[in-house]
Amino acid sequence: MTDLLGWGGIIGQMMVQFAPTLIALIATFALSITYKRRLGLYGKLFDSTIGMIGLALVLFWVYTAFFAGVLDLIATHDPLDQSASMKKKLPGTPYSKLIGKADPEAGAYYILGGDNLGRDVFSRVIAGSIKVILIAPFATIFAFMVGVTLGLPAGYYGGKFDTVLSFIANLVMAFPVILLFYLLVTPEIVHTGIPVYMAAILFIFPVIFLTILWQSRYDTQPAKRNIYVGITLVIGLWLYLGIAWDADPLGLIRFPPNLLVVFVAVVFVNAPTVFRIVRGLVLDIKTRDYVAAAQTRGEGPWYIMLWEILPNARGPLLVDFCLRIGYTTILLGTLGFFGLGLESESADWGKMIIDGRKLLSANILHIAIPPALALLSLVLGLNFLADGLREESLRD
Amino acid sequence: MSKLKPYDGPILEIDQLSISFFTRLREIPAVMDFSVDIQPGEAVGLVGESGCGKSTVALGVMQDLGVNGRIVGGAVRFKGQDLSQLSPEELRDIRGNEIAMIYQEPMASLNPAMRVGQQLSEVPMIHEGIPQAQARQRALDVVRDVKLPDPERILRSYPHQLSGGQQQRIVIAMALMSKPALLILDEPTTALDVTVEAAVVELVKDLGKKYGTSMLFISHNLGLVLETCDRICVMYSGEAVETGSIKDVFDQMQHPYTQALFRSIPLPGADKNTRPLVAIPGNFPLPHERPTGCNFGPRCDYFAPGQCDQRAAIPMQPAKGFERHASRCLRMSDIDWNAPIATAVKTTACDPGKVVLKVDNLRKYYEVAANALLGARGDKKLVKANECLSFEAHEGETLAIVGESGCGKSTFAKVLMGLETATDGQILLDGRNIEQTPINARDTQTVADIQMVFQNPFDTLNPSMTVGRQILRALEVFGHGTSHAQRHGEMMRALDLVKLPREFATRMPRQLSGGQKQRVGIARAFAGGARIVVADEPVSALDVSVQAAVADLLMDIQHDQKTTLLFISHDLSIVRYLSDRVMVMYLGHVVELGSTAQVFAPPYHPYTEALLSAVPIADTRVKKKHIVLEGDVPSALNPPPGCPFQTRCPRKSDVPGGLCDTQLPPLRTLDNGHQIKCHLSDAILSGMDPVFKISPENR
Repeated sequence: MTDLLGWGGIIGQMMVQFAPTLIALIATFALSITYKRRLGLYGKLFDSTIGMIGLALVLFWVYTAFFAGVLDLIATHDPLDQSASMKKKLPGTPYSKLIGKADPEAGAYYILGGDNLGRDVFSRVIAGSIKVILIAPFATIFAFMVGVTLGLPAGYYGGKFDTVLSFIANLVMAFPVILLFYLLVTPEIVHTGIPVYMAAILFIFPVIFLTILWQSRYDTQPAKRNIYVGITLVIGLWLYLGIAWDADPLGLIRFPPNLLVVFVAVVFVNAPTVFRIVRGLVLDIKTRDYVAAAQTRGEGPWYIMLWEILPNARGPLLVDFCLRIGYTTILLGTLGFFGLGLESESADWGKMIIDGRKLLSANILHIAIPPALALLSLVLGLNFLADGLREESLRD
Repeated sequence: MSKLKPYDGPILEIDQLSISFFTRLREIPAVMDFSVDIQPGEAVGLVGESGCGKSTVALGVMQDLGVNGRIVGGAVRFKGQDLSQLSPEELRDIRGNEIAMIYQEPMASLNPAMRVGQQLSEVPMIHEGIPQAQARQRALDVVRDVKLPDPERILRSYPHQLSGGQQQRIVIAMALMSKPALLILDEPTTALDVTVEAAVVELVKDLGKKYGTSMLFISHNLGLVLETCDRICVMYSGEAVETGSIKDVFDQMQHPYTQALFRSIPLPGADKNTRPLVAIPGNFPLPHERPTGCNFGPRCDYFAPGQCDQRAAIPMQPAKGFERHASRCLRMSDIDWNAPIATAVKTTACDPGKVVLKVDNLRKYYEVAANALLGARGDKKLVKANECLSFEAHEGETLAIVGESGCGKSTFAKVLMGLETATDGQILLDGRNIEQTPINARDTQTVADIQMVFQNPFDTLNPSMTVGRQILRALEVFGHGTSHAQRHGEMMRALDLVKLPREFATRMPRQLSGGQKQRVGIARAFAGGARIVVADEPVSALDVSVQAAVADLLMDIQHDQKTTLLFISHDLSIVRYLSDRVMVMYLGHVVELGSTAQVFAPPYHPYTEALLSAVPIADTRVKKKHIVLEGDVPSALNPPPGCPFQTRCPRKSDVPGGLCDTQLPPLRTLDNGHQIKCHLSDAILSGMDPVFKISPENR
């Protein structure tokens, strides 16, 4: 039986566990700083302290999720494994198991203590990062696809089309987000199939977006166009059937229904804001001469929107993308906090915070604080990154 | 707060001033070893191309260089006092009080949320602490001085309720409120129309005399400087290269750059066929890529290896035999300044071929809701952008369309391109009607036949696509070539055509200079073998030294390919230089149409006459008739009855019976197809004097 670890020991243990992440992080920074003048906007990020801090925080979690999720490093215990003797134990408590056999490969300590069910807090925070890093960026990408595909024509054509779409966007944005989530995940609503229909509508947008993208670009070269559009349609529709309808003809792709609801909710809430940003950018860029030049060349409207306008709106969109991943991360946390997220068992930062919250009054802090710090550092990192990008893209 | 005590010497002494900007990569010297004196009551012109540091000098005088800029050498003395020694409080007392500045964009200089009267009275209230009533009275006087109608109403209005010309007058009034000793004008008229510019320049000149203010007049336009200033300082790449009195520098320049500059601007006498412009070869060096020795060396005709590229810095030296005339040239005394121009290749005018484009009674009206908020129910108003436009354009001809902003020239271009459809009348391309066919309904050949070159070089190329890609795309759309390789070859030939190196195909537009971008724009327009090219002010946004090269390139390609060029411009100098026929438009009407010789010689339409006299000409030999138009161009939403020009016409009184107020003049054909839309009698028309007189002494 080993002794309780002191704070120095805890930090030391964490360093050891995070070693792969830290090595990767240092390597990335060393390489990037060496070649920063050749790396465009990404390289310029290394001239801004805020940007570097942001990137470091974000990359820290990205690498952690990668090493934990793909290579099964970092985490010391199975995040779902309970041990009755470890309930609410303080950080640095040696690992023991009352019932059943202890996993021989598991770590010797609960580095950050055990939660109210005797699970390892440290491993659960790490496991939670995998969920966040997987869901937040992808949900944001989907929201961007929807917002861009609708925002481009709304800004470009204006008129009735714009009025109707803007009205719908305002309607969605006027609705309280939490209430919307509650509605979407209530079993009764899920039972009516509404989330699936919403998924069906929202998830078709990436396919539409890519198809139009290739069609408008290679319209003049039918052979090339057919290949690109064909590949997009086959893969896109296959994924679409699997994800949105759970009807993959090959039976390969499945999407957990719980996750689908969370995904749909996040995309649905984010898309209108993206729509408004894109629409505003288009209104500005469409007055440029190169757009007029494309028009006088007889280009189709979608070519102009996707190839002349969109690439030149990338700066502000990139910044918003970073901010929005942070926002989505908070949303996921909020969902978990209200118990609306994934399965109740799974490691989820928001869920962990609410579990730990009940014990805060009993002066047991180590269950709620680590996931809260994790959430805070990732969102802070994303906001810093966005700030850095904005600052650097404005400078010479 | 009082003014500085009277001082005998020069108002402003800039002594070997050097200013640098510090970026994270390097120090960028913006101004080097710059010296100039301004005596009381004197107006000094500061001339140079964009990026030469002339605005930085002005900011240096104001001690307002921002976080990155710093004065690294020399001194700026105002009334004998070194400005860099002053505290921020003392500087605040001087700025706006002793030294006032007028910027290019009037709307950006005025606070849009404050009434004009309030903004004006603020100046003496802050600097002299006089009571509001008194300050307002002074504002009223100054507004009257800048010749604005109905000063009381002007003082009560907000800036956006005034026109651009009126706004600039208010900015000038504001600068004069505290009776400054020095006025700095940074391109004060660049954003204005020619006739408005002429009026503002006239005003500045008069006020300078009346108030006894010294002026530092920054401009890229040599003609304007000739009209306003006593002395001139020419800048190139951060250095003053020549200073002297207007007469000395204009007639007996002592620096190769000044000479090259004068040879590259279209002065009267230049002609695209017999006496073409001499463009300055090469490009303006970037601040961190300046050559050793003389900055102008690599582009100079008189460059002597071993002499001009030796020393790190070449000092300003006084020119022998002149007073207060200096030049930064080592070979000043070796060069024969009076040698005749080695003429560039002469070409023969190409005969106009068959009619390609025929426009007949074209009208374009826009409907706008009279009330923006209740638009749906309010009655509609018509904006008559084009009124009965009729003309023909021949193969291989350059037809210039001249007019100020709001005259309908851009609307016509849109209708011709198919971005809008005509309200009435017809456009015939090779005898086929195209006026009602929007661009998406036109067949590829028609689209490829009519192409456009745009005005703003920084806006004409998609910033996120390589140069080659953009030309390739045009070829793809116009169905040229069958394979990528073939199109790629054609794209390379297009780059050759506009005299750009082939490596540029993989460059991004931000790596190109303004002139190079404009060349790519031209290559793109001609890529599909266009037969009609609409060039919308293709050179007006370019620097003087690049303008000639781009204009000549356009002419060369047109000459080779027998393209019909519709050259839209407000710059009559360049129009006279390169067009075969000229069409003058005013408020949607064609007021005069004829060959270049006919339009530029009497009889004139009164508007053409005013336009010609408004154009500043950088030639001391030219004596111009002086016509200043009152007011601004009326709104097309509410055009005057009768003749469109009657509200500003200086010759209105010559027409009996108030015909101008009631009746639209008919289009009269004078001789050889010279058409004029005016009520003036034949006797008056034939009795008109020419606007320019060139005095016989030869340079």
